[in-house]
This record gives sequence, C-alpha cells and structure tokens, in this order.
Amino acid sequence: MAASMEVVNGAWDLATKFISPWNTEVHIGCEQNNFESATNILCDNGLLNLLEDWFFEEVQQDLRQRVSPAFWKFFEGLVPQDSVADKSEQNIVCLLQATEYLHKISEEYKPCIQLLESLPREINRNYSMLAFCGVNKISDVVRILFKSVVFTRASREFRDCVGQFYAQAFSVFHCVEHDETVNDDEESTKCSGCKHDKNDCACQHIMQRFNSINAKLDEVGVLEQVSGTSVTALVHEQILQHVENTCQGNFETAYLSSLQNWLENKVLGWLKLVYSLDRTNIGSDCIEGFKGRLIHFLLETYANVQISQLFKIIIEFPESELAIMDLKYCLEKVDMRSHLVTTLKSSLETRLLHPGVNTSDILTAYISAIRALRALDPAGVILELVCDPVRKYLRSREDTVRCIVSNLIDDASNELLEELVKSQPLIDETTHNEEEDGDWKKWMPDPVDADPATASKSRRASDIISMLVNIYGSKELFVNEYRTLLADRILTNFNYEIEKEIRYLELLKLRFGESQMHFCEVMLKDVADSKRINTRISEERIQKGEERTVDVNAMILSAQFWPTFREEKITLPEHMQKLLEEYTKRYETQKGNRTLDWKSHLGLVNIDVELKDRILNFNVTPVHAAIIMQFQEQERWTVEELSTVLQVPATALRRKIAYWQSQGLLKEEQTDTFLLVEEHKGRSHDSIVAEDEEAESAMASSHAKTGEELQVFWTYIVGMLSNLESLPLERIHGVLRMFAMEGVSGEITIDEVKHFLDNKVKDQSLIYSGGVYRLPKSS
Amino acid sequence: MSAQNIDPATNQTRNKDKPRDVTSSKERHSVSKRLQQELRTLLMSGDPGITAFPDGDNLFSWIATLDGPKDTVYETLRYKLTLEFPSDYPYKPPIVKFTTPCWHPNVDQSGNICLDILKENWTASYDVRTILLSLQSLLGEPNNDSPLNAQAADMWSNQLEYKKVLHEKYKAAKTD
Repeated sequence: MAASMEVVNGAWDLATKFISPWNTEVHIGCEQNNFESATNILCDNGLLNLLEDWFFEEVQQDLRQRVSPAFWKFFEGLVPQDSVADKSEQNIVCLLQATEYLHKISEEYKPCIQLLESLPREINRNYSMLAFCGVNKISDVVRILFKSVVFTRASREFRDCVGQFYAQAFSVFHCVEHDETVNDDEESTKCSGCKHDKNDCACQHIMQRFNSINAKLDEVGVLEQVSGTSVTALVHEQILQHVENTCQGNFETAYLSSLQNWLENKVLGWLKLVYSLDRTNIGSDCIEGFKGRLIHFLLETYANVQISQLFKIIIEFPESELAIMDLKYCLEKVDMRSHLVTTLKSSLETRLLHPGVNTSDILTAYISAIRALRALDPAGVILELVCDPVRKYLRSREDTVRCIVSNLIDDASNELLEELVKSQPLIDETTHNEEEDGDWKKWMPDPVDADPATASKSRRASDIISMLVNIYGSKELFVNEYRTLLADRILTNFNYEIEKEIRYLELLKLRFGESQMHFCEVMLKDVADSKRINTRISEERIQKGEERTVDVNAMILSAQFWPTFREEKITLPEHMQKLLEEYTKRYETQKGNRTLDWKSHLGLVNIDVELKDRILNFNVTPVHAAIIMQFQEQERWTVEELSTVLQVPATALRRKIAYWQSQGLLKEEQTDTFLLVEEHKGRSHDSIVAEDEEAESAMASSHAKTGEELQVFWTYIVGMLSNLESLPLERIHGVLRMFAMEGVSGEITIDEVKHFLDNKVKDQSLIYSGGVYRLPKSS
Repeated sequence: MSAQNIDPATNQTRNKDKPRDVTSSKERHSVSKRLQQELRTLLMSGDPGITAFPDGDNLFSWIATLDGPKDTVYETLRYKLTLEFPSDYPYKPPIVKFTTPCWHPNVDQSGNICLDILKENWTASYDVRTILLSLQSLLGEPNNDSPLNAQAADMWSNQLEYKKVLHEKYKAAKTD
C-alpha cells in the first residue's frame, strides 16, 4: 500500500506540474505520455476530481497574487481625467499593454486547460466548480475566475483609460464612416477622427488597435466586464450630443428619421464592431436588445431637447410644424407629457406673462400656442392645461378684449380674419350638446391627464376665435367692445363708406348670431341713413337756390343703440351754431316729429385759415375750430377768457390750444395768454410743444364710470339694502357684479365700490358701522 | 348679462351638473334673464313704497318691502314679503307671502295672500313691479267678499277702530 501511495504521490506531483502554467520549466522534457500515465494512476485511485479542484484553486491563487497586481500596476500613476490628447494616448497605451498581458496569461493557461479537458470526467459530480458556476467547460470556469478575481476592483484611472479608448475609437469610426468630402471642406489640417495632422492620420492604426484589443479582451472573456459601463455611458453621451447639435435652434425640419438612421448606422454599427463580430463569448442578440433601449433613449433625448425649446417652436408655428409632428411621435413612445406641460407652463410664464409684454404679443403667442398644441394633441388636453395661466393672465389685462377685437378686423394681421371667414357658428360652452359622434369607430379616450369636468368634445372642437372669446366666458363683453370700437371708427373718420364694416359685421353675425350683433347693425344703418339725409337736404337747398358757403353734413345716430359718449360741453361760435340749427330745421321738416340733439364736441371741421402771408387748410374737431375762430375777432386771448366764451374747462382748453401751437398758428406770449401768429417770418414755430393730441376715443372710457352708470349702481344698492337690511362691502360688490352689470362696460372693482360707498356715507345717504353698510332709518 | 364676471371654469363645471337636460337649463337661463330685467325695471322705476331684491345669490327668491299706501290706515306701516319664483316663471305666478305679520282681510295668519292675479288671473305680462303695486293697493282696498281674516273684514267698515287694532297688532309683532 505504501508503494502504491508513493506511486500515487508521484503521479499527483507529475500531473499537477503539467497543469501549472506558471511553472514553466516543467514543460521542458516532459512527455504527453507521462501525464497520461500519471492521470491514469490518479483516476484508478479516484483522485481525478481532486486534480480539477486543485487546478481551479491554483488558478485563483495565481490570479489573485500574481496576475491581478501586475495588471493593475499598468494603471498606477496615471493622471486621471486628462483631456490633453497625448496623455490620453499614453493612457490608451497602458490599456493596450495591460490587455496584452492579460491575454498572454490567458494563453498560458490554455494548454493546461486543454489537458484537463482531455481527461475523462465523472458526469454527476455535484460539488464541482463546473456545477457551481453552471457551465460545462473548464475554460468557462477560468473565464469566470478572470472576471471575478481580477476585476473585483476597478480603479478610477482604469475607467478613464477605457473611456478614453472607446471615445477615441468612436470618433475615429465616425470619421472613417463619414464622407471624406465633409472633412475636406473644412479647412482644417487635423483629422476630425484622431485629432492628428491629416498627413499622419492615425485613424487606420487606431481602428486596428481597437479591433485587436476588443478581440483579445473577448478571448480572455472580460470584454463586457471591461467595456460595458463605458460603452453604455459613451453611447448615451454621444446620442445626447448628437441630438443637441442637430436639433437645437432649428424647428423647420423633421429630424426623427434622420436621427434614427444615424442611430442605426453609426451607433449600432460601432456597437457591432465592438460586440458581435465573431465574438465567442457574447450573443449576437444582445445588440438587438440594446437597440430597443437606445431608440427609446434617443426619443427621450430628442423629446427633451424639443420640450426645452418648445416655446420657440410654438412661436414659429406653423413653420415649425415638422418639429411638432416629431414631438407628437415621441410623446406616443415615451412618457413625457407631464414634463412637457410643466416645462411649457413655466416657460410661458417667464417669457410671456409679465408686464413687459404687449397684450397683442401675448395674444399672438396664445394663438400660435392654440394652433401648435392642437396639432400636437388633437384632444386639446395639453392646450387646456398649459394655457390656463395664459387665459387667467389675459383676463386680468384691461386691453385684452380691445386687442382681440381690433386684431379680428385688422387688415394687416390676417390670421384672425381668416379664422373669422371660416366662420363656423360660435360654440357656446353653455349650449354644448353631448350627442354621440358619428364616427364612433375612430373614438379615442381622453388622455389620462384630462380634466374630467370638461366635456371632451368642447375641448376638441372649439376653434381659435371661440377660445379667445372664452377667455372671458361671455360673448356679450366681446360684442360690446366691438360696438365701442365700431363707434369709434365711425366717429373719428366721419366716413360714410361702410361696405367693409358691413362685411365684418356679416362675418361676426355668422359667428355670434343675429341678436348679438343687432346694435351694431343699427349703427351701420344709421350711417347709411345719415348719408341719404345729407344728400336730400343739400339737394333741397340747391333747389331752393340758396347759396351756402359752408356745407353741413350730419351723422345721425340712434342714441339707444350707440355706446355712451364721453360728454364734453362746448358753446360753438354763433356762426357754426346757426348752421347746425338750420340743418335741424330741415331735418324736422323732413322727418315730422323728430329732432336732432347735437353732440357738438364730436365732428370734423374742414377749415381754411387765411393769414397775412398764407392760407392753411385743416381737418380738426369742432373744439379746435371754435378756438381758432375766436382769434378772428381779437388776436390775443387768455385761457380764462376763452374758457368763459366757449364754456370749456381751462385744462381741456389748454390741451386743444397745444394743437394750434404745434401748427405754428398760436403762440404763448406769456403764461396763459395766447397770440395769433399772423406772419410766419421763416422762423420755425414753437416746436417745443409736443404733439400730445393722443387719439382720443369718442366713447366713454370703460373704466371711468359715467355718472349714469354710478346712478344705476346706487339704485341697486338702495334696492338691496332696503330689503336685505345691512351688508358688508364684499357682499355689495358681489351682488352688484351679479345683477347690475347689464349694459355696463367693463368690470367694477371692489375698490371702486368702496370709494363710491364711502362718498355716500359722507353724504349721509348711507351708514357704515360694524363692517356693514345700511340705509339711514328715515328713508 | 354679467357673465364676464364668472370664471369660465366654474361656468363649465356648473354646466356639467346638468348635462342631460340642456333645454331645461336653457329655460332657466332665460328665466334668469327675465328676472334680471324685472329687477332693473323695478329699481329704475323708483315707485314710492315698493322695492324688492334677490335674497343672496339666488335669483329665484326675492325679498320685497312694501310701505302702506298713503291716506289709508296702513300708512307708515312697512311690511316685508318673500317672492318665490317657479322655474317656469312667468308662465306660473310667483308664490308671495308676508313675512311681517299683516292684519288684513285678505291675508291669513301665516302670511298667505288671497289675490286673484296671484292665482287664477295670473298672466305672463305681470311682473314684480305690478305685483307689488297691486299688493300695495290691496292694503287700502281689501276684497271683503272672500276674506281670509274674517275679524279684519268685519271691522273694515269702522276705520277708526280698525286702525287702532291694526297698529296694536303691528307694534306687538314688531316687539316680538
């Protein structure tokens, strides 16, 4: 037994020597037969399994004590994260050497592994490394040992080296794949791939080295271990950069397909180069799996870029329609709706909703937002969510309605006019009907972020004009504002040609309905009637052979239907007054029991002013004419004198005189005394006086409440207080807003109400105590 | 209408409450309009001794104040009433009641009124103003043929006595 023990020991020693790759001298002179006979002995004694286990144990020891320190030594002392090109080259060389070292070790192991694998093996061994690792071959176990022992740690320098290596290879790959012409166009002496001079471009070399390193790593079995994170990070970064470079700032092209092409050809092409060209240890399907994720990442990145510049895209709409369509596709694939909504909302708020932006600009942006977002999301949910602050803000601006209306009928900006011409009847939110859609097969549920309180159809169907009108939620206010603007236009131009206005009115009628626009219709009819009456009266005059120096035309308005006028009192010069009276008489004879009530401050007077050296012609308001006519009689007037003669308050008078000053006809001799400038004397007139004749609206401003309106409020207040006893300010304001706003232009603020009530308290028409207002007992 | 004062959002939700019967909400809308108009007419007319106003936000329920007509026993007395408008107003009359106790041949103890135009003789051409004017004249000229308050009806012929009782009752109600 002792002998056999010795034999067994000898055989063991021999066999272990054979399978010790680090024991190089043993191989010399040893025969294959010796190994076989030694293993036979071991096999007979049932020690073959031990041999295998011993081998794995030794490999682990070897890797841990010799290979791993040597491998990591390559990377010690390298400067991490160095961006200088030659340093990174140095790093890559280190990586190359380290890889080669690892490869060499792996090659050394190979013959031993072959020997071991040639041995017969017990099939159902439960406790072997093979079973433990779940693999069938000894070489696989060795690979796993490489991964797990050598790469248990990863220094930062190592990661940098790998990152730089792949980054370089990626850019070189791109350069090589690119058309050469692109590089030639740029007057650069550097190769865009390897950053070397063109003359000694290292691209070829780099690509070769790249392939060989990958192949070696693969052979060792650690390719994925080494490259995985770096490659993923690199690819993501490249996608990010590429998308940003391509799409930033340009919204008029669709990039989606070109981006996907790029991903397919460049990125996946490169990945294939790394992973799937005859790699032994990596399945070819892994690229396919990765592809799906990369496409998703690409879409996500693209959507992110587009969302960050969505505000600009919206402003550019419809030129940016392609970008919107791309984004729409992306949103279907990736979940970014809520991100889109919050980003766009905040960018609208910072870019648009502050006092520095004109209302008309906000409106323009709002209109393009409606268009763009409707294209993006036909269900209108994004639009509703995003534009809510815009609507609220517009509601708080005073001139919004005016802007919308003037936009609507402005020839210059055709946008809204076109919408108007399309003219479907206005969708009133109150009369919305929830009937079944005809094409139920195409029905799509509302997106999850939709507000369930709103009917989806109203969201989908409402057009731009109704969206604008619905900023205020009522047509009436809108129509009132239109009426005021219309009156303004008629009364400032005194133009009897109203064909264009009639056309607008017809369009608006289609939209808002006959009854809403009835007042405006009457107004336009007034203009037409006035024209007829003017002709008839002047004809009559000619028939009677009367000669007239001054031609009087009237604009006869039906007071009931026109907005309230700003009241201004003036006594016209006798001459003018007489003409008006004469006209009134003629009108009375024609119209039986009707008469005229002149608004003498409104009108247009065409006058020739004859001075010593020149004759000037002006189109001015009656007040202006009256002023200058006073200077016929005496050439020097004080403001006070004029004020008593014309019955115009001095401040208003001064403003009007300023016009004549700017025309060089009057001059302020001393404070409040004006002199007619008869001769021009070549001297430029008082140009100091700026033309402050702002285009005054003839209509009562909607904010300065007229006395009449306040009287209405007072009646309501008395009504409510005598029945409901006593009320606090908020309640009164609320009730007024609810019941007393009929026919009142604009809103009344709580401050206005308070001011009004306080005045009444001063008059002792009201009592204020304990936070509530009530009427005095006596009444 | 002062709809610009109502937030469109709340407007929508309110519409949502009754999505099924659009027509009835439309009718209600037109009734509101009519009541607004009547309120305006009433307040603007400035008829002495009558006034009314919606109670709170509900346009369908009003409080009215009625002064006794001059040269009658009711002079200097002031009465409060409530008016409840049905949703098919003005095709049906409003329900009018005295809230201040009113001692009168045609008014019962709980304030119900017997007046033909509030019952069978109602037509849609009446409005709040005409109702209140009719009530005001009813105070001075009761219809003693169909009394709700027999005691008052019996006493009506004796105006002095009537006035004394009336004012006693009015004062008692006030101090209650």
